[in-house]
Amino acid sequence: MWTSGRIAHILLLCSPIFALSAERFDETLSINTLQDGKVSSKFTFTTLLKGASPRNPKTLDEEDESQLYTVFPLGLGQILREYAVTELHLSLNTGRWNYDRWGYPEETGVGTGAELWAWMGDGAIRTVDERWKGLRNALAGLFCTSLGSMDDLRTTSPEKTFVPEGSLPNWDAPHQIRHASLPSENVCTENLTPFLKLLPCKSLSGIATLLNPHKLFDADWHGMSVHVLWRGDEGVEVRLTFQSVSDPLRSAVTRKQDWSFESLFGRTIDRPCPVAETSEVSVTLPINAMYTIQPEPARVENNLAKFDVKEISEPLLVRMIWPRPFSYPQTYHSEATPFSVRRTLKGSSQAWGQLSLVIENHRPTSMRAMYLETMPWLLQFHLHTLQARIDGVLQDKIISNVQYMPSVPHSRPTTLQAILTLPPDTSVHITMDVTKAFLRYTEFQPDAQRGWDLPPAIITPLEDHDNYTIPSYSEKRMYTANLLVEQATPDFSMPYNVIIFTCSLIAFIFGSIFNILTRNFVLVKVD
Amino acid sequence: MEQERPPSKWKNILDKLRNLGQISPDKTRRTILRRRYYVALISRRLTLIEIILFLIGYLWLLVLPLPRLGQRTYMDENALQPAQVNTYWNWDDVHAADNYLDHVERLRDNNITSAKRAEWLQTELGKHGISASTQNYTFSTSFGIVNGTNTYAILASPRHSGTEAIVISASWISRIGEGNGTVNVRGVSTVLALAGFLKRYSHWGKDIVFVLSDGYLEGMQAWLSSYHGTSQSGLKVDPLELTSGVIWTALNIDYSGHSFSHLGIFFEALNGRLPNQDLMNSADTIARYTAGVPVILYDHLDPEEEPAAYEAPWWLPKAIHDIKEVRSYLYQAKNVARHIGYQYNGRGSGVHGLFRQFRIDAITLYGIPAMGPHGFHAIGRTVESTLRTMNNLLERLHASFFFYLQTGPRQFLKIGLYLPSAILISVALMFRGLGTWVNAGWISANHNSKDGALSKESTWRSRKRPITGTLSVMIAMHAFGAALFALVSSSWFISNIETLAPIAFLTAFVLPLFALVIPSTKSEDVAPMHMILKTANLCLTSTVISIITLMNFSLAAVLAVVLGIPLVISSPSSKMSVRIAKYSAYALLALGWLLFAQQEIVKSVWSWQVLLVWFAPFVCIVYVPLVLQAGIVCLLQP
Repeated sequence: MWTSGRIAHILLLCSPIFALSAERFDETLSINTLQDGKVSSKFTFTTLLKGASPRNPKTLDEEDESQLYTVFPLGLGQILREYAVTELHLSLNTGRWNYDRWGYPEETGVGTGAELWAWMGDGAIRTVDERWKGLRNALAGLFCTSLGSMDDLRTTSPEKTFVPEGSLPNWDAPHQIRHASLPSENVCTENLTPFLKLLPCKSLSGIATLLNPHKLFDADWHGMSVHVLWRGDEGVEVRLTFQSVSDPLRSAVTRKQDWSFESLFGRTIDRPCPVAETSEVSVTLPINAMYTIQPEPARVENNLAKFDVKEISEPLLVRMIWPRPFSYPQTYHSEATPFSVRRTLKGSSQAWGQLSLVIENHRPTSMRAMYLETMPWLLQFHLHTLQARIDGVLQDKIISNVQYMPSVPHSRPTTLQAILTLPPDTSVHITMDVTKAFLRYTEFQPDAQRGWDLPPAIITPLEDHDNYTIPSYSEKRMYTANLLVEQATPDFSMPYNVIIFTCSLIAFIFGSIFNILTRNFVLVKVD
Repeated sequence: MEQERPPSKWKNILDKLRNLGQISPDKTRRTILRRRYYVALISRRLTLIEIILFLIGYLWLLVLPLPRLGQRTYMDENALQPAQVNTYWNWDDVHAADNYLDHVERLRDNNITSAKRAEWLQTELGKHGISASTQNYTFSTSFGIVNGTNTYAILASPRHSGTEAIVISASWISRIGEGNGTVNVRGVSTVLALAGFLKRYSHWGKDIVFVLSDGYLEGMQAWLSSYHGTSQSGLKVDPLELTSGVIWTALNIDYSGHSFSHLGIFFEALNGRLPNQDLMNSADTIARYTAGVPVILYDHLDPEEEPAAYEAPWWLPKAIHDIKEVRSYLYQAKNVARHIGYQYNGRGSGVHGLFRQFRIDAITLYGIPAMGPHGFHAIGRTVESTLRTMNNLLERLHASFFFYLQTGPRQFLKIGLYLPSAILISVALMFRGLGTWVNAGWISANHNSKDGALSKESTWRSRKRPITGTLSVMIAMHAFGAALFALVSSSWFISNIETLAPIAFLTAFVLPLFALVIPSTKSEDVAPMHMILKTANLCLTSTVISIITLMNFSLAAVLAVVLGIPLVISSPSSKMSVRIAKYSAYALLALGWLLFAQQEIVKSVWSWQVLLVWFAPFVCIVYVPLVLQAGIVCLLQP
């Protein structure tokens, strides 16, 4: 017993050394106080597989090289190899990111629900669509999500908005993008557990200790995401992130925005993760405010207080204390977000409505932005009614370069991309009439009277450049809120009785009335 | 082994069945004769049948409030789970509400302008960290220009995508006296305190929208139409700067008195619509069991629960009045009467009524002004718990009832129990109309015989029934109704209503007299016009009543009572004086409102122009022509 325990101990000690040779794991936690008193925190866990490259889809029919990983998540790695995925982004978010108050998120994909997009090489024996289907089913299994329902009804290819974050290998056949979002996906503990399993130290040590579901899923907003990309000169990178926005003022009796690891996460960092190359907690220090931060940070750089988790000797419990009660500002303004966006579905009819998008440019300069709608066929656009107005006056110079792929009922979603030119300090109202689809009764989902969640629209600011189709900074995508569409819905409590009774009654009444109106029996004497 | 062979038995039956399908001349003859016999039986007793239908119909209407007729309300949507949560609203929050009350009373007493007031409200809501904004609106109507400023705030719930929302609202003017100017001070304070309170909890699964609308009804109408992107003529409104998702339910708080003794529930929406009954039942259950407040329908008390506050009607002998059933009947009759009063004219019973046009279920909780014992503590708990109940909804309220007749706070009639009353009367009208049509088509050959004695074997000849003339009269009358509506809803008429209304009455009275000069049909082979007009009028009235029963039962019931017998008994007379007298009676029935209900005209036209309530156009374009046509039937030469 003693020997085996000792061997295990030695192995444990050695494993980081082996890992470091080809794999590198880094973790950071950044905490930021927002202007409405909330606290945003972001966990980042980066694993780099040095020198590796994505699988060329041409080699899909050959046997793959063996996958011997130490810290790189094997479950994910196998999926990536199996479907020859070059770049992959999956985000599972709950809540609506408030750009106006919280500024720009550190991790871009903050659309409510699940969003998955992947770049895959073409030219294989298995088409991109076949592999996309396999990929989403495999990820659905891995993360306990319903990504499997991101079927053809929701898959689009908006390659201009979702440009690759890493680099794409230069294979013979071009790369293709597949994108789908599932706005009604609920994210909770069952998704966090598999997420933690992908980490080398699980949630046992290091920064990941703080990923406590009880606290995280009580936050105002939370989102986890998985990013896989290829850095041509370094290797394949897997970045797992968890963002949350908590409200210390929600339960505070004193109305102070004090926070600590204990209040935000209900835990402290007791020991460092041994395999992590770097492990750092950084807290953004408020400007022009009175506060105390404890314990004393290891160093302060660029207004960032940094704590090195590798060096801790006692449990790390960072806390920030404010002497004065917090009072909410009357106006909120974020420098980082160039505009505010509001999207709503107007009208209370079950047959038609109007999609309305209001974009307010806060900047003193004119801006261009790419507007993307990937809409399931449940809502059908009337493109000729797409209009932009400023103060109620019709403008024809705002919308340009419209790319439109109409939906096909029961099979394909709409993709609408357009470039918007937004004048300085103005709100632009964009409206378009829509028809709400009439569904087959087998197509309704459970809780039919709720309606359907529709995915967010995405606005990407563009560089003011001649070649304006290239986004200036791909990470600056802005997601609007989800929508709920209500179609004409039958009473599902007793559809058959209702149909049968109604039809019988109509047939009976029609038959009788028709009979009376058209026939008359008289007695005729035939002599 | 003796055994009866079943096939022979089956064969017999099969043969019989086969014979059933076969048509023998004799059988057909018998069928036709039998059918004729029954038709004759009905047509001979048509008057009797009509009288019976009328009697049953009117009696049915009287029986509706019977305590034994209805059934108790029950929760249908299991997700709602009313009164199943612990409430957190406490004396701290009551204190916060009291502080707001001081400020709101100061706003009221200092006659602060709407804009200034809205600004203050916005600031206060913003202090809770909730996004708040204001909205200006202007209604240009025949009554001049009405403008105001709404304040609203949206509490973005934690972890919610913002696709659904609940509204809590309080209008600045309370519903006391249909918005006569009493300020809803405590309602507004409650909403302000609730905004701060609700933000402290993370269990909300929908956005919560706080709306403090200006005026009584107009502010909310402006806010709602702006929220849903509908436009109406005469309304200019700022677009909303903050939006949320689809609104499913709304709760309007009306609490203006010092304290309240009961919570009254008001539910009738515009144009005869009703909210889902589950919402009312939840509020009732919660107020009773969570807050311990007695709940009543509207604002009159139940004599059984509050005998002290009850006065016996003078016309009822004490002996009869002492019977419990009689008292219950009277109480429920009062409830039904008030319901009909709120529903028939389509104006609804308050701010909650404006929501239903956008498929939002809404009710008003009205604190009955009293010196005690309940206050902010009780209303806060009721609203908190009701919100939790609404919050439980996964889908729009769709179970339970949308068609009901509430006879008490926990007693109601299903549609099958009240609808037949009006339908039976409309059937009676239809029978009379069809009977007149048949009669118009035949003439007895001996009718005009020279010797004057009707022979027993009179023969019947068919005659023509031209409808062109009748139709043109009807179209002209309806066009005349439309012109009358255009006149009545013009600002010129409204501002001089006291002088113009009698003039309009006289004009409308005189114009149909042209019927006197319509010549009678000389030929015997053509049916007289009055019969055809009566036929068309009765059939149209019956159709109108039947259709309206589903849209607005109260209106249909009122129409059935007002139009039923008068339209059936309209008939011409040989004496000119009788004709004029009969016509005058009908004209008075049709147009009397021009003389005696000028206040109602103003209200109805206002509701049409601001709230799009179709009662005013309906009266002018449908009701007036129908009654006047009955009058014309009397005017026409026999």
